[in-house]
Amino acid sequence: MRRTETRSDPTVSERTLSGIGVTPLSGVGTVVWYRPDEALELDDPPRQSEVDAEAERERFEDARDAAREELEAERERARERVGDEEAAVFDAHLQFLDDPEIESAVDAELEEGLSAEHAVSEGFAGPIEQFEAMEGRMAERADDLRDIRDRLVRLLVGGERTDLSALPEGSVVFAERLTPSDTAQLDPEIVSGFVTATGGRTSHAAIFARSLALPAVVGVGDDLFAVEEGTDVVVDGDTGDVTLNPTEETRAAAADSDRAEVRSDPVATSDGKPIEVAANVGQPAELEGATEQGADGIGLYRTEFLFLERESPPDEEEQYETYVEALDAFPEGRVVVRTLDVGGDKPIPYLELPEEENPFLGDRGIRRSLGVDADLFETQLRALLRAAADGAGDLAVMIPMVATVEEFESARETLDSVAADLDSEAVDYEIPEFGLMIETPSAAFMADEFAARAEFLSIGTNDLTQYVMAASRGNERVSELHDPQHPAVLRAIARTVDGAEGTDAWVGMCGEMAGDPELTELLVGLSLDELSMSAVTIPDVKANVSETDRESAEKLAKRTLQASTKRDVERLLDGDAEN
Amino acid sequence: MERTVTIVPEAGLHARPASKFVQTAGEYDADVTIEKIGGDGSPKNAASMLSVTSLNAAHGDEVRLVAEGDDAEAALDALEEILSTPEASEDGESGDGTSEADGDEE
Repeated sequence: MRRTETRSDPTVSERTLSGIGVTPLSGVGTVVWYRPDEALELDDPPRQSEVDAEAERERFEDARDAAREELEAERERARERVGDEEAAVFDAHLQFLDDPEIESAVDAELEEGLSAEHAVSEGFAGPIEQFEAMEGRMAERADDLRDIRDRLVRLLVGGERTDLSALPEGSVVFAERLTPSDTAQLDPEIVSGFVTATGGRTSHAAIFARSLALPAVVGVGDDLFAVEEGTDVVVDGDTGDVTLNPTEETRAAAADSDRAEVRSDPVATSDGKPIEVAANVGQPAELEGATEQGADGIGLYRTEFLFLERESPPDEEEQYETYVEALDAFPEGRVVVRTLDVGGDKPIPYLELPEEENPFLGDRGIRRSLGVDADLFETQLRALLRAAADGAGDLAVMIPMVATVEEFESARETLDSVAADLDSEAVDYEIPEFGLMIETPSAAFMADEFAARAEFLSIGTNDLTQYVMAASRGNERVSELHDPQHPAVLRAIARTVDGAEGTDAWVGMCGEMAGDPELTELLVGLSLDELSMSAVTIPDVKANVSETDRESAEKLAKRTLQASTKRDVERLLDGDAEN
Repeated sequence: MERTVTIVPEAGLHARPASKFVQTAGEYDADVTIEKIGGDGSPKNAASMLSVTSLNAAHGDEVRLVAEGDDAEAALDALEEILSTPEASEDGESGDGTSEADGDEE
């Protein structure tokens, strides 16, 4: 893919390109083009008689050694900066680098009398093409191979690599694609974001962007190439919008949301209603990030990490210690721990998790906890009740995937019997707040019944949207339907809140929607008491809460609930933003 | 010497299991090939990440391993072990793993 020439007469009016947003963040900055292969244009192959095959073979070996060293160094850097999981990409690169098949392809080209750089270029061409022709994740392996090829060619022709780790502050990196080694060099403190022409939500670049909390948009397409170096740009990693020559308002809106100060104190609306802003956490390592971003507590502590990647379930003691650690991280706050939520989509070797035709409608969450995983459920509750007594913060226990009142009542009975056991054993324990996730349409319809029996309801908008709209979360073909701004989802949320009115139960939200700063006013207007989200968006949401006036928020919510289409909803939300 | 094995890891012969498989195949003197049963039929070099990945072998697929050399049996044992050991879903490369890390579990 070649880039078109930059335009000589840049438009000065605001213009928006759209792609796929991969991080819930926006960034403001200046376009810096990254064209790593520009220096890698090879001359025509030299005439074969001029090439010393033996010497070229040695040059290839040297380049490979140097590449290996670079990759090992980058792997360490990635490990420090983003963690083991991302560093594993470099392990794969190292294996491709030494791949005997690729080596023999390059050898064959060397024997044909090509120079080392041309032999590398030719030797990799077949495998790259092969992967490109495949689908999904396999096609992304082509990116890995290109990365390795370009690295070798650069080392052979002595090209300088654009130093992505030494960009001026406020750079927004534009590129056709970014390889894992490219993204690993980006410093989120300096770079304001990146935009690529290719790539999807699951590409390496997207995954890195999320780990580094960098605003990023991928898959913009060829239109991107017409953008000139130095253009002012706003990158919205949420909507996927890339706004060129942004107006002052656009810039201010993005900069505002970007520079929201971290506030560790609880916030209230401008008219004084406190709103708890909490973090969603998937493992202990994220607790620190949550406190750093000013979370009041944890609104969703997933416990699956305790059970994954091991041969046997964690015992009571290990769980107890993990829960105490979480509670100690928020001595003044509340930690909502969700009990084990697994089903046929997540393999756990020691659990009997039969493959199901439709795991999201199958035996999962509380269904398993009251059925095949009853023992695990009891152990988890024991550990939780003990931790509630010993940890610093307040514990709340949340039950996933509840569809019937009986399920919740049975879960409560289990909790009571576990408490009775601990009592008779004279073990210290405390009964935590006990509630459920509202993620099935059934639970939303029956919210009043649940609110009469639970201390809290927490709306999991991602699954609720999936179930209300009958649109799979991961399927891009129906992603338009999987959007909580559809009126049906908003009405399910309103019904849940209404169901709790007049009871003591508080109502929170722990889906992605809660972390969308543009929806804060609407959510406050819908009378939610708590919002829980990925830690990165906490400062923005806190800032928005404190600027929200409840009366006008409630008016907005009321109008929005009367909307008949998603477009109407969006129009109302936009309109309100301008006022 | 040959052996037919069903792939147990959920990720199939990708990501970590593939990485481990290739590395192990390279540690033995025996030449080992791998072929997906019902695939295009040609045996591939088991010590090549490229070949192994491009098999696109998924969880539940059957593969035939053929080894020749002094330590052929030991090589087959080690490789069979990898293919028969379930691995929890952990790779950060899949879409699901990603969205999960993002907090859109609910």
